[in-house]
Amino acid sequence: MNQNIQYMLYGLMAAWLIVVLYVVHLTLRENRLRKELDRVRRMVESGEKRQ
Amino acid sequence: MREKIIFALAAVSGTILAWNMNTIFNKLPDELNQGAIYRIIYFHVPANILGMLGFGLALLFSIGFLMTKDLRYDALAVSVTEVSLVFAAIGLATGSIWARIIWGVWWVWDARLTSWLACWLIFAGYLLLRRAVDEANQRARFGAVVSILGTVNAYISYKSIEWWNTQHPQPVLSIRNGGGMAPGMEPPLYWNLLALMCLAAILIMVRMRQEIFAREIDTLRRLAHSH
Repeated sequence: MNQNIQYMLYGLMAAWLIVVLYVVHLTLRENRLRKELDRVRRMVESGEKRQ
Repeated sequence: MREKIIFALAAVSGTILAWNMNTIFNKLPDELNQGAIYRIIYFHVPANILGMLGFGLALLFSIGFLMTKDLRYDALAVSVTEVSLVFAAIGLATGSIWARIIWGVWWVWDARLTSWLACWLIFAGYLLLRRAVDEANQRARFGAVVSILGTVNAYISYKSIEWWNTQHPQPVLSIRNGGGMAPGMEPPLYWNLLALMCLAAILIMVRMRQEIFAREIDTLRRLAHSH
């Protein structure tokens, strides 16, 4: 393949790869935060019941 | 409501991108001097514009926080900064790949490239700094100061191709009095800018929701410890 076209494709792949990696990072963080939020909510509820 | 807006923006962004990719790759001819590689400009320029606009927007939110001490401004500032950093990274990466073919090197230390890389590092430092500070108000205050410094640097980077004779090309867009592109080649760039702007808005909304979760977790933890 012509090197010019090959590098154009590398450029496009790099752009979308960065977006995909960020979306994966966002998804993992969202899942972690949701789990943590549930855990802390349960902790607060159990504390209130004890009182 | 938030989910509906996200889906609507995703539909708009996806439709424009699909239609515009067809124009860029199937309808537009190769550029006379650069060949096919010039098409990188359709991602490189919109990504950098979004990076710069985002840093400017984050500056406004940071000033909003410093004036009001309202942490919602800080949440907006960090969300916009993080997404802008992603687009600035796309700008740097695509520019470097273009330079490898056109200049024969991956990187040169000219005013535009160096100041933009410095800007990226400052805002990456902004995110790292925020992780190091536990207290929310102090974290927001430090972040706002770094955001102001970083945005000054972003403005210097924006003007660098006018102020200095850089190896980086001079402005090409007609809205910046450049006029370096053939008339038919310029509109797809603005369409890509619009599509990527919708994508950026989606990412900012998702990131903002995470910031709200994080604050709720902080509040609940304090409540749990007080029991």
